[in-house]
Amino acid sequence: MSVRVAEADGDDRWHRLYARKLEVEAIHAFELFRRNGIEPVLIKGWAVARNYPADAPRFYSDIDLAVSAEDFEKAQALLASKEASKIGIDLHRELRHLDTRPWQTIFENSRLVDLDGCAIRIPSPEDHLRILAVHWLNDGGESKERLWDIYYAIAAHQDSFDWNACLDGLSSNRRGWIIAAMGLANKYLGLPIDGLPFADEARDLPNWLTATVEREWRSGVLHRSLHTCLKDPAEFLRQLRKRIPPNPIQATIECEGDMRAGSRLPYQLKCMLKRSLPSIRGVFQTLKAR
Amino acid sequence: MNKPQNPVARKTGLVVQDVPEEVLVYDTDTNKAHCLNKTAAMIWRSCDGTRSVADIAKHVGSLACEAVTDDFVWLAIDQLNESDLLEKQVAADFKGLSRRDVIKRIGLGSMIALPVIASLVAPPTARAAASCNCNNNTECGPSTPNAGCPAATCNLSGRCEA
Repeated sequence: MSVRVAEADGDDRWHRLYARKLEVEAIHAFELFRRNGIEPVLIKGWAVARNYPADAPRFYSDIDLAVSAEDFEKAQALLASKEASKIGIDLHRELRHLDTRPWQTIFENSRLVDLDGCAIRIPSPEDHLRILAVHWLNDGGESKERLWDIYYAIAAHQDSFDWNACLDGLSSNRRGWIIAAMGLANKYLGLPIDGLPFADEARDLPNWLTATVEREWRSGVLHRSLHTCLKDPAEFLRQLRKRIPPNPIQATIECEGDMRAGSRLPYQLKCMLKRSLPSIRGVFQTLKAR
Repeated sequence: MNKPQNPVARKTGLVVQDVPEEVLVYDTDTNKAHCLNKTAAMIWRSCDGTRSVADIAKHVGSLACEAVTDDFVWLAIDQLNESDLLEKQVAADFKGLSRRDVIKRIGLGSMIALPVIASLVAPPTARAAASCNCNNNTECGPSTPNAGCPAATCNLSGRCEA
């Protein structure tokens, strides 16, 4: 079994302190929302970091809170108020594309965990694995480091993990995504999957999928919004090259596609059309703002 | 009883994280981060408003099992002032000497480490992860959709740079 080496940033003091700052903000956010009758669910970030071993911590840069569609606008207004002036939260209207299970089901399955005396609501391990897998694939599989999120989402709960709760009722395409993500964690990180009912399927990864992740990891170029690179022509070109053609994993996810379909091209074309207009708009807006 | 000239450690707007031999402090008002070595942290935590500098020197000396001079404490106070970690600025009294001279004087005779407060800067990976997607500085802050830049300055193109 592979052992993850902690991020070698040279100095993890910053990360530890920033993580603590985010924890304080998360507590304030939960307290603020609850005072106003909203119950959020904390996804990704802190909830993922809890799965990692102490000697290989997972650092994160923000707090993601999901609330029901009914509460979303009220939550947005609260975060924009003076009371929340020091709370930096990435707010989600339910889970959008990250999961297709009804929000009510996610909420009912969620659990409360303690953070400095505050009960923080996080998804069940089974629901969170789906969220994390789709999130990672939606980023085009560009980060090998973040594949450990999937590894530890399972490894930290392997004795009690309910695979039926995780995979039952999903569309066959989405089920295929989750299994593919686990297959990648098995192939590249040594996630143990022997004995699991879908182990053979997970090991049988499409060639295009492994070729894509390996290409992404070799390039080391992480996605950035184009309008954030306007002052850096070299980076702007790198980001343009990254988008043309669209990452086939990302395109498949955005189009709710089939990992095992013969060609990625239809998904990539559709994705290109869908994304090009907002990108161009963003670039013009930034230029106009100057 | 608190006296105006007694230093008081700031408590509001700070996130404090103890790590081995150091105390890390994040100032949520300025988005700046500091690293206090053990000595600086001891002195900072002794600033409760009831202790004069001489009292702090005695207190820290008893904790460190070694005599600590007022100059030693003033050295820390000076840095705490600079880092905005005191409720109110307390003018350091080096009795006409420069900070460098005081350090020289103390350094040779002290068995415990001089108090040091260093700035903690976000590493490149943290800056890269914190794209704020803002177009100007007024948009960049904790309450923006992308949670702003970590202890750094927005470069007006949605990137966070120290």
